[in-house]
Amino acid sequence: MAEISDSPTTSKPVEENTQTQTLELDTKTTRNTKPGVKRLINSVTVLFSFILGFPLLWKSIEIYRAPLPFDRIDSFSSQIESKPFSFPCHFQAIFIGFDFKASNADVGAAIARRMSDLSRGGDCGGGNAYSVVVVNGEGEVRSVVGKYRHAWIVGRVGAEEAVGRVAEVFVRVFVNGGDEESSVRSEFMPVGADGRIVLSFSLLNADPRDWIYDWDFREMDETLLRPVIEALQPIANITVESQVLYHTPKSSFSYWDDEHGSHIFRTEDLPFFVNSNEWHLDTSVAAGGRYIPSAKECPLQLELPNGEISKTNGFISPMWGGVVVWNPQSCIKDLESKDPVRHMISPQDLQKLFEVLMGQLRQLLGLKSDNLYVGQSGTSILLGSERGFTEWELDVLSRKHICFNLHSCATTLGSLSRLVQSLPRMIIMEEIGKQVKYSLEAAKFAQSNASIGIYDASAVSSRQSRSLAEDAFFHPSIMSISYYSFEHCFAIYSPFFLPVTMHVLLAALREWKRYKQENRKYLASKAKEKVS
Amino acid sequence: MLAASAEEEFSEELLLKPLPDRKILAHFHFRNEAPLAADSFARHHHLFPKSISQLVQKFHIKAMELSFTQGRWNYERWGGFDPISSHNAKPPGVELWAVFDVPQHQVDASWKNLTHSLSGLFCASINFLESSTSYSAPEWAFQSALGSLRYGTLPREAVCTENLTPWLKLLPCRDKAGLSSLMDRPSIYRSFYHSQRLHLIMPTAVSDGSKSGIILEQTLTVVLQPNNQKASMNHVGETKIQPSWSLSSIFGRKISGRCVLAKLSNIYLHFERGLVTQLDNLQKKSSKFAANDTGLTWKHPVVWSSSHAPLYASRFLMGSGNERGAIAISLKSTEMTKGLVSANNVEERCKLQVNVLQIVPWYVKVYYHTLQLLVDERPQVLADFVERMRVSPSEDKVSPGVMELVLQFPCEMKSAVLSIEFDKGFLHIDEYPPDANQGFDIPSAIISFPDFHAGLQFCEKSQSKSPLLSKLQERSPVLSYTEVLLVPLTTPDFSMPYNVITITCTVFALYFGSLLNVLRRRVGEEERLLKNKDAKKAVFLRRMLNKLSAKLRGRPSESTPSPPSSSSSPFVSPKLILRVLMVAGIAVAWQYYSQ
Repeated sequence: MAEISDSPTTSKPVEENTQTQTLELDTKTTRNTKPGVKRLINSVTVLFSFILGFPLLWKSIEIYRAPLPFDRIDSFSSQIESKPFSFPCHFQAIFIGFDFKASNADVGAAIARRMSDLSRGGDCGGGNAYSVVVVNGEGEVRSVVGKYRHAWIVGRVGAEEAVGRVAEVFVRVFVNGGDEESSVRSEFMPVGADGRIVLSFSLLNADPRDWIYDWDFREMDETLLRPVIEALQPIANITVESQVLYHTPKSSFSYWDDEHGSHIFRTEDLPFFVNSNEWHLDTSVAAGGRYIPSAKECPLQLELPNGEISKTNGFISPMWGGVVVWNPQSCIKDLESKDPVRHMISPQDLQKLFEVLMGQLRQLLGLKSDNLYVGQSGTSILLGSERGFTEWELDVLSRKHICFNLHSCATTLGSLSRLVQSLPRMIIMEEIGKQVKYSLEAAKFAQSNASIGIYDASAVSSRQSRSLAEDAFFHPSIMSISYYSFEHCFAIYSPFFLPVTMHVLLAALREWKRYKQENRKYLASKAKEKVS
Repeated sequence: MLAASAEEEFSEELLLKPLPDRKILAHFHFRNEAPLAADSFARHHHLFPKSISQLVQKFHIKAMELSFTQGRWNYERWGGFDPISSHNAKPPGVELWAVFDVPQHQVDASWKNLTHSLSGLFCASINFLESSTSYSAPEWAFQSALGSLRYGTLPREAVCTENLTPWLKLLPCRDKAGLSSLMDRPSIYRSFYHSQRLHLIMPTAVSDGSKSGIILEQTLTVVLQPNNQKASMNHVGETKIQPSWSLSSIFGRKISGRCVLAKLSNIYLHFERGLVTQLDNLQKKSSKFAANDTGLTWKHPVVWSSSHAPLYASRFLMGSGNERGAIAISLKSTEMTKGLVSANNVEERCKLQVNVLQIVPWYVKVYYHTLQLLVDERPQVLADFVERMRVSPSEDKVSPGVMELVLQFPCEMKSAVLSIEFDKGFLHIDEYPPDANQGFDIPSAIISFPDFHAGLQFCEKSQSKSPLLSKLQERSPVLSYTEVLLVPLTTPDFSMPYNVITITCTVFALYFGSLLNVLRRRVGEEERLLKNKDAKKAVFLRRMLNKLSAKLRGRPSESTPSPPSSSSSPFVSPKLILRVLMVAGIAVAWQYYSQ
């Protein structure tokens, strides 16, 4: 530095100037020494260390995402959707009074052929053996399906017809539960993820100023519902609740019909019957509502689409459950007493209503509500059990339950994987990964158990797989964490990296340019030297 | 306490009371009672709300009280000694306490679940009471429920119709019929004070001490101003006349009829006994009872005052700045204590017991050793007055500080001031609530007088069957709440983390850039260049100096160094001028655009 400050004080600036100019001219064009690479190496090293450090930085700002088995989820859901499960079936056909020319095996094969014709999409079979007894006798052909896993066909029946009937009973009744639209209904099964069903019954007094009706539901619970709950125990834990609500008008109007002598509510208005503002019913459970109309609209009847009056006076509303309209015996309001009298609904009436409600419950669970099955080859009588559900029906229900659980597990996992893939910077906790893994394992276990016919274990693990999938989907961390966005990351790091990268890049570029230039000069001077 | 009967029962009652300051107190009282049968409770109900019974069953609640309040009860004017003020005057916002029937270690878990359920049920942010910093377990302030009681308040909760609607849903008639149909939302929320309360009690049977039933009390207390300006406008003398009112004029609605499900639907008018006898004497009482529209018309000015609590409590903040301050609770004697003194002066010294419960959030760091007591404006030794004291200091981000004091004052005391100093803490940047600059609330202190019992005695005609009247007759300790305090805490600049990041990054970038430049520097070459430049600069400088000196001497400039000047001037000036022009242009543009 001393030299620099000294330099302007030299006595002969002009001479010096010219001298340096010539020197500079010289250095501008020629160079005798090899250009140094020290600075070039410096700046290039810095640049390279930056480039090498970049993946490290990227790693450090990476958010934690537990690896989810996307391909396994996809294959599982596609498998569930494409091919319905097959449960092994044990069918027994006992023919009495027949004289078959063919061997037993041939008859069996014929029945199996007919069965495969009948079963489109072939659903599930049963754990225990189902048997059909065919008795060749006198009289009209009668077909009866019993309370357990048996059916009888009695009457004058030909061998061919008998085979057809047996196959139909096997497939349509025992396998599909006798309900033609079962494939539609099987989507809905009001069982919670923990395998619980809450049956909530509400008595709705439209206007308590006219009359108040009350019920003794506890008794009904004990005497009528208890056997049903016990029967359904293997499928779900059932709890029963009841309440009485007042001031609950329906949300649509009915009209007076002279012919029937009552107020009529048409089928097309049914979606507007349930008044969700005023009816404080529990949602998400199988609820049964009983509606008592006010004096203004007292005998209230529901009209079927064909103009007839509904016998049950009830209907099922999706997501709300069954509703039954119950009209008081006399529709004349007691005007004398100021206070309306509290009436109790008599046990006989309750019994009657309970039958309707039971039918609705059966329908909600995807079974037939009446006791007749009309098939291609004639009608069969289905015997009812005093417990509300026969054994083969329970088999059907538990199969449906397994199917439903696995279906909903597959859809939940599918939507989870779609969600996770659509948000690339969402944090996924280890727990979610574990839950997904276990859910898939449980589903696989349920499938394998079902295919070898172990029912209970399959039901348990299917339930488990469903609840694990739901837990993963509704994990609080998915809901709450505002995900660490890329913009945020950029905003934090750019004040450092933008200027520094510019410096580093420019330095490397300049040094490289300079080196090339100097090298060229050196080469040129070398060539000149050679020439000279 | 009434024994629960085997049937579910519902009763609705309304108490109307003219207040000394020309306002009307309307107190709705709904009582729903259910037997606690083991097999059907929380499963089959006729009148009792199923949701509440399921809550009780799930969390094993022994007793619970939840209140939503807006406005502050004016203890001076509206009274502090009657059952309504000690039961239904509540601190602003949400107050919740609950007693659980579970083992000690499960109480906290039950409380947390309960807060979440209630917050869903009443559409309020009661779930904020879940964090252990917002609730505590006081021991002496409430009826003894040792250990299993939890208490929490949310002073800032805004109360609105969305809280009233679910509350009404619990009534069998909702607001479709009966007294609850009076609840016109605009008139209720326009009131000076309203408090909506839900109280669950499980009375124990006298015979075997087991719980026999459950009582759900729902009360709504509203203080309204009857709006008739005419009387007060016309004559100055008539301002003393209480305004005339009727139910339809104060609520803007009429009762359409009783709720048919209620066993009892009554409307009561509440006057002081002295006032009633006075009015009877004068025979000027003129109240008309229409079928459904009760009203009151005053013809003569009547003045009375409400009965006060033994001590009038208020609380305020002292100190300034964002660092420290002090909380002071002042207790002033009212005319009632004077009466006590005159009644008791013959006997040995009369004592007045006062219980104080003060809960402070952890970020207000209270120094309990600074607790000072001034009695009649003279500092006193604390130990002379404090009978019992329980302090649980706050733990940062874990629990609030709780101070419970049982004080014994002489009856002739005029005033007492309790003061305690505190430091204002710092919160983590994530812990600040939205609108942190508004300040932080310190929940109300509870001052109770266990020796005094607020219970009304009714004269001959009172029906003992009425739940409301029996509630009013019940002897319960007098309780009052102090004001909510607003403490301003230092709030950080919430963009600070980003500023810090930016400045640190800039400093790093500067350092890094200059380091890199130093590494790349070629000292020798620069020196050479500099020498060249300096040489040129020296010539230029000399010329300029020459010119200047020539000018100063007044002579025309000599053109001595003409050849170098001509050679150097084109070398320097155009570039320089261009640069100067550019800078000037940028400056002008900057100035222009920045305006």
